[in-house]
Amino acid sequence: MDYILEGFVEAIQLILSFDPEIYQIVSLSLFVSFTSTAVSTLIGVPAGIFLGIHQFRGKKWVSRLLYTFMSFPPVIIGLFTALLLSRSGPFGQYKLMYTSTAMIIAQTLLVTPIITGVIFNYTSGNGQIIVETGKTLGAKGFSLLLLIVTELRATIMIALVTGFGRAISEVGAVMIVGGNIKGYTRVMTTFIAMNNNMGEYSLSIAMGLILMTISFITNSILYKFVIGDLDELKN
Amino acid sequence: MNLKINQIKKIYGEKTVLSIQQENLVFRNGQINGIIGPNGSGKSTLMRIIADLTTATSGTIFYDNSPLDDDLRKLLTYASQQAFMLSKTVEENIRYPLKLRNYSKVDQQRIAAEQLETFQLEAIRTQKAKNLSGGEAQKTALARALSFSPKLLLLDEPTASIDPQSIKIIESALLKRKVDPSLNTIIITHNLSQAFRICDTLTFIHQGNILFTGLPDDLMHDPNPIIKEFISFN
Repeated sequence: MDYILEGFVEAIQLILSFDPEIYQIVSLSLFVSFTSTAVSTLIGVPAGIFLGIHQFRGKKWVSRLLYTFMSFPPVIIGLFTALLLSRSGPFGQYKLMYTSTAMIIAQTLLVTPIITGVIFNYTSGNGQIIVETGKTLGAKGFSLLLLIVTELRATIMIALVTGFGRAISEVGAVMIVGGNIKGYTRVMTTFIAMNNNMGEYSLSIAMGLILMTISFITNSILYKFVIGDLDELKN
Repeated sequence: MNLKINQIKKIYGEKTVLSIQQENLVFRNGQINGIIGPNGSGKSTLMRIIADLTTATSGTIFYDNSPLDDDLRKLLTYASQQAFMLSKTVEENIRYPLKLRNYSKVDQQRIAAEQLETFQLEAIRTQKAKNLSGGEAQKTALARALSFSPKLLLLDEPTASIDPQSIKIIESALLKRKVDPSLNTIIITHNLSQAFRICDTLTFIHQGNILFTGLPDDLMHDPNPIIKEFISFN
């Protein structure tokens, strides 16, 4: 048990020492996860709204497919991305393998179905009435879109935080396409996995504490912005 | 302007839910036109077709002899029994259609104040509309629908499952609006006594077909056994 306690003490010392390597890893993790979440948002939010609101043949199959993608293991996404980006793959010419761009692509593939799925799930049940209300009050085009996004803002926030949480905490995909290269593609999760394998528990715990703090901050932001709108989810 | 329904048909899958044979079923302006009939008879489908919330399989709707298109539909509004309140205050909900139509802030305030008074909502004007009771939400929905002075008001059971006082307020607001000769109100109701209190004409729909259209008093003397049975249960 002592080594765990010592690990925590060392971890706090490490955080307070402002080790440049630690902060470089944290900033790269945040950059990769924020970027992939942002790209996924641009794709997933309109896609989720569109699929949820519209009735079309095969909608049930689309939802099944979407929910399957939501639970896809990150290593499979990593493998798929690696196959696409590897030298002999269809996008090999762009030399993206083992770069932060590859990590962003993998995480985007991982997060987009999650954001789409969360929004699709809510709008399937409640989106139609928002559209109908807007239309019968005179909203159309951009004003209707604005109304939908405004009314769905709590759901969108939850989708974004869920997506970001998935991105920042996953290890399999970024390990495969990033390669955990020091100072280049090493992120928090790959750092923890590597140090755990090497028996460097204090480093793992330090990074774990930072990861948990980030998770706490993002959830606090969600709570602050969404708490006033929870009624939307009840209706 | 009058609304003319011309042989509207709606088929879902293989089921015909609405089949209006009449060439010119007319809902006149300056009147409250009631639609009654048993559950699943096609009343709401007809109203949703008029409001462009669903499309008719065949048939046409004319508004003052012009086909009811997107431009004319700007003049109509629709409120259902499950009023959806926007995540805004009661007053902001009422002002929303006015904002969309670029009314000045002064006009928005004035009209909202009138509507709040008519529907007795002044005390809750700053409340979040999502937290309203059924009756308050329905009154807000109607105040919102009427705020921009629509020419065609479509109401799908607006007083279903709300308190008697709210029903009275809504009915008197509708009767007050009837003085506007250009307003055409079409209301679906299951409450026959309400239909007799406020409607100038009644249309009876059964299994997608219109069995009666005319004055409320005439409905009472209609020999059709389905209508007789419906009346006896009310």
